Amino acid sequence: MRIRLPSLSARGSEAITAYLFLLPAALVLGLFGLFPLVFNAYISLFDWRIKHASFVGLANYGEIFGGAAPFFLLLASIALMTAGFALIRRKRKAPARVLGVLLLAGGAVALALDLPRIDLAGDSDMLRSFRVTVWYSLGTVPVQLVLGFLIAAALDGKFKGKQAFRVIYLVPYIVPTVATAAVFERLFSLRPESWANQMLALFGARPLQWLREYKGVFEMLFGPGLASGSDSPARYWVTWAGGPSLALVSIMIYNYWVYVGYYALIYANALAAVPRQLYEAASLDGAKPWTMLRRITLPLVSPSTYFLTILGIIGTFKSFNSIYVLRDPSTGGVTDPMSVYIFFQFFHDGRFGYAAALSVILLAIVVGLTVIQRRSMEKRVFFD
Amino acid sequence: MTRPSKAGVPRRVARYLVLGIGAFVCLMPFAYMSANALKTYAETVTRVSPNPFSRDFWPASPQWANFAEVWLGDAFGHYFLDSFVISMTTLAGTLATSSLAAYAFAKLRFPGKEAIFSVFLATLMIPETVTLIPNFLVVSRLGWTDRLAGLTVPFIASAFYIFLLRQFFRQIPDSLVENARMDGAGNARILRSIVAPLSRAPLFTVACLDIAFSWNSLQWPLVVVQTPRWRPISVGLARLISEAGPQIQLRMAGALISLLPIVLVYIVAQGQIVESISNAGIKE
Repeated sequence: MRIRLPSLSARGSEAITAYLFLLPAALVLGLFGLFPLVFNAYISLFDWRIKHASFVGLANYGEIFGGAAPFFLLLASIALMTAGFALIRRKRKAPARVLGVLLLAGGAVALALDLPRIDLAGDSDMLRSFRVTVWYSLGTVPVQLVLGFLIAAALDGKFKGKQAFRVIYLVPYIVPTVATAAVFERLFSLRPESWANQMLALFGARPLQWLREYKGVFEMLFGPGLASGSDSPARYWVTWAGGPSLALVSIMIYNYWVYVGYYALIYANALAAVPRQLYEAASLDGAKPWTMLRRITLPLVSPSTYFLTILGIIGTFKSFNSIYVLRDPSTGGVTDPMSVYIFFQFFHDGRFGYAAALSVILLAIVVGLTVIQRRSMEKRVFFD
Repeated sequence: MTRPSKAGVPRRVARYLVLGIGAFVCLMPFAYMSANALKTYAETVTRVSPNPFSRDFWPASPQWANFAEVWLGDAFGHYFLDSFVISMTTLAGTLATSSLAAYAFAKLRFPGKEAIFSVFLATLMIPETVTLIPNFLVVSRLGWTDRLAGLTVPFIASAFYIFLLRQFFRQIPDSLVENARMDGAGNARILRSIVAPLSRAPLFTVACLDIAFSWNSLQWPLVVVQTPRWRPISVGLARLISEAGPQIQLRMAGALISLLPIVLVYIVAQGQIVESISNAGIKE
């Protein structure tokens, strides 16, 4: 039973008020958040070096990929792998799955042959920064997930001092990055008196170059045999086999320090939401702790795992402050992920057009990752 | 009542062991920073025990003069003031734009609400690298390089804070808003005198997070500031790090000075910050 029907004009004025309230935020977000995406794509079509210059079409992209052929082969291999992956996940029938595996393998082979071509004909520094980004993701996200989960498990339940621990664990995440990175720049300096080298000395080990070390950690562990190679496509993949540089690993350690506590708090929240009855019921059925972890806890916190995974991966594509402070120019870019490489193309070399083209690619990768995240989120949440 | 069973004691020991090691790792770099900020240059090379519980980790006698040298000699006072002005200006703008937008999303009906909200959220995904070049060109065209406007205006709206505030505003009962409307109050009035006073805690959290964010910003100021007229603290500290040479004690003193305000903010607001960060995570 309605007493008063809101008149059309009341509705209309409510909408107008709403738009007025949204206007300031929309102006700022539109001008400095969304318009740049279009403008950036426009800039990427010019040979823009500080000053607006001539239209060059897709030449900047051509320079990145070393021509049209490697670029289209790259697109094709990604499309093949996506299609193959989708087939494997969606279809239950064997022939479709076999086809999916074939497509996936075909795409992977095409990619494996194409990247060396791009490395030779295109921008090999861009590829290196991509490799750094991939290592950086692989080296940080899983470690942070595991350590964060362990600490979250220790934080679970009621006990004395819980709040104090939560507050302490968030300190590295809250305080300014430049200041804490400045500390790690000293902790992991190459000098024999640095903290990291003093720790090594305690165990009788020789000092390392840490943030100054451009060599890959696998290369350092397993000897330099990996690094030599002929001119075949294999030569490019050998640069991957060397692993992330020790300098990058030092930066990863800084990353753990910043993010493990944050991951732990997110996980602790998810753990607190797991209904206790599930554990009680399972233990009445004689389930072992390990089984309960695998069958109850991990599935129920999986939304957090996905959230943190994608946040962490996208984070490596966004990272700047810590690397700006921790990077050593003499290592030749082995610590620079794409975001930092693009920044220096723009900021030091003044190649606005080229840097814009690079950042269009960065955006495409981040959007692609977000789409993957959305998809897998839907699946997971409904499946488990 | 007798909770600590046989399994309980080792479990508690394990818990405190894990948490204790974690807390030690979190705090150790701060101990290193404080210890080295107070050393003489010679001590940064000779008193280098890696163990914070050893006497050799710390200076023989604290050199408070290091702070004065950084504050005066490296113009940290100037950086400090610049960062303060920048973060307060950004904060004022952010609170205004975000609470208006959050109120519209939480309490008003209008066509296109969901669509506009998801477009707002999409801006969170975009890496700063992608917007850097176009924004630099726009800000130069507006004549805002080396100016307060250039350093603040791009950051006076954030989808993240709009999201946080909307979550809270939605929990305020609609009946309160409806009653005020019946009494003839406009939406601006309702926001100011009903919603905002009820939302002190989340507004305070947003304020603290935003101060921490402005204080930490580096990439944009590097690009948009070309003269020493404006030099926020992160830029000043980054310069000190690359130019101070081997004078570790000065770098550490500079780093310590630059993070003190944020540590203070955190100490004051720790409860709310911890809650909002651990909750905000999931919903994105």
